[in-house]
Amino acid sequence: MFRLQGSKVLAVDMTGDAVKAKNGSMVAYDGQMAFKKMSGGGEGLRGMVTRRLTGEQMTMMEVKGHGTCWFADRASEINLVSLQGDKLYVESSNLLATDAGLRTGTSFTGMRGASQGNGLFTTTVEGHGQAAIMSDGPAVVLRVSSQYPLTVDPGAYVAHQGNLRQSFQSGVTFRTLMGEGGGEAFQIRFEGDGLVYVQPSERNTIAGDV
Amino acid sequence: MGFREINSKMVEATVMPGQRLFSQRGAMLAYQGEVSFTPNTAGGQGGLMSMIGRRVANEDTPLMTVEGSGTVLFGHGGHHVQVINLSGDTLCVEADRLLAFEGTLQQGTMFLGSQGGVMGMVRGQISGQGLFTTTLKGHGAVAVMAHGGVFEIPITPQRPVHVDPQAYVAHHGDVRNKLSTALGWRDMVGRGSGEAFQLELSGNGAVYVQASEEKL
Repeated sequence: MFRLQGSKVLAVDMTGDAVKAKNGSMVAYDGQMAFKKMSGGGEGLRGMVTRRLTGEQMTMMEVKGHGTCWFADRASEINLVSLQGDKLYVESSNLLATDAGLRTGTSFTGMRGASQGNGLFTTTVEGHGQAAIMSDGPAVVLRVSSQYPLTVDPGAYVAHQGNLRQSFQSGVTFRTLMGEGGGEAFQIRFEGDGLVYVQPSERNTIAGDV
Repeated sequence: MGFREINSKMVEATVMPGQRLFSQRGAMLAYQGEVSFTPNTAGGQGGLMSMIGRRVANEDTPLMTVEGSGTVLFGHGGHHVQVINLSGDTLCVEADRLLAFEGTLQQGTMFLGSQGGVMGMVRGQISGQGLFTTTLKGHGAVAVMAHGGVFEIPITPQRPVHVDPQAYVAHHGDVRNKLSTALGWRDMVGRGSGEAFQLELSGNGAVYVQASEEKL
């Protein structure tokens, strides 16, 4: 149902069903479509409280109708992720669209979130279906297995899925404190079994400066 | 003749004696052979009246005439370039999106109010197009700039297409456009989906849409 038109445009064919997409990301459609605003962080009162508390305000809209709808956002590259019951962790600003059947929620990330410059919370997508995530430049998907843990730069991290444990690593040494750091003072280490999406560009983070 | 795409952001044009090209001023990247670039104060073709027309319409992006014999590379600002070939129909495009076009095409200015009256003007204001748009008519090729990649959506009488005004690049063919609103009470209370205004294009032709909501 989700297909890519080029690398920067997502085309979704709909026959009366619905998708969730980032607010204002529709660029064109044919047929009949209706757009309705939704709010992230889960449904109901609990979702509302989480949103208020976490600041992970993902403004999304529900698109419903018959026809084809095209989505794009600031010429970002789009990656399709298919979920079979597992959980995708993605920063809300990197999430473009999901199937309506997927549940979205908020989870605590701890130090990793702070080091990415994104806050302490992140968005989770769970269920069976497809999701489209955005990256600055084409993202690479790196597989993590129990023998091969992966360490990524927090600024280049986009999303991850699967059964992964993450830990925060700091390479801060005496030299860093003296202002002689290599610009790679913080890293996130993934262990377990799953996939990590990494973009060829780095957001501005605290880690990049030290 | 025509434009050859070198990569997604650069086009190459072959110039031969007797065949002119128009391009946005400063968009030349490199050239081979004997090619001259003349700034075109009139901002395009036609006489004094068309020049005044363009000035009034604020569609007078500085153009230059490219003449001689050789090959010229065009590109501008790192924007994506899309080549559109016209065979007798009319292309409507904003003047500042025009990178280069062949001299065989007839350039004109269209008043948006002429399509749909007052609503046409409102549409122009909302989509940031202003009250006027540039038209190119005839046989030849046009290189159009856009932010991000461009894709083409065909329009048929049974299949009208709705486009986000900010992502609209150009359209060609026999197409009527009107502004459709999906304004509801939600937009009034600040809970809109961000898709309140759309351009509805119907008829026969194609519309070019960019993968971004940023203007040039």
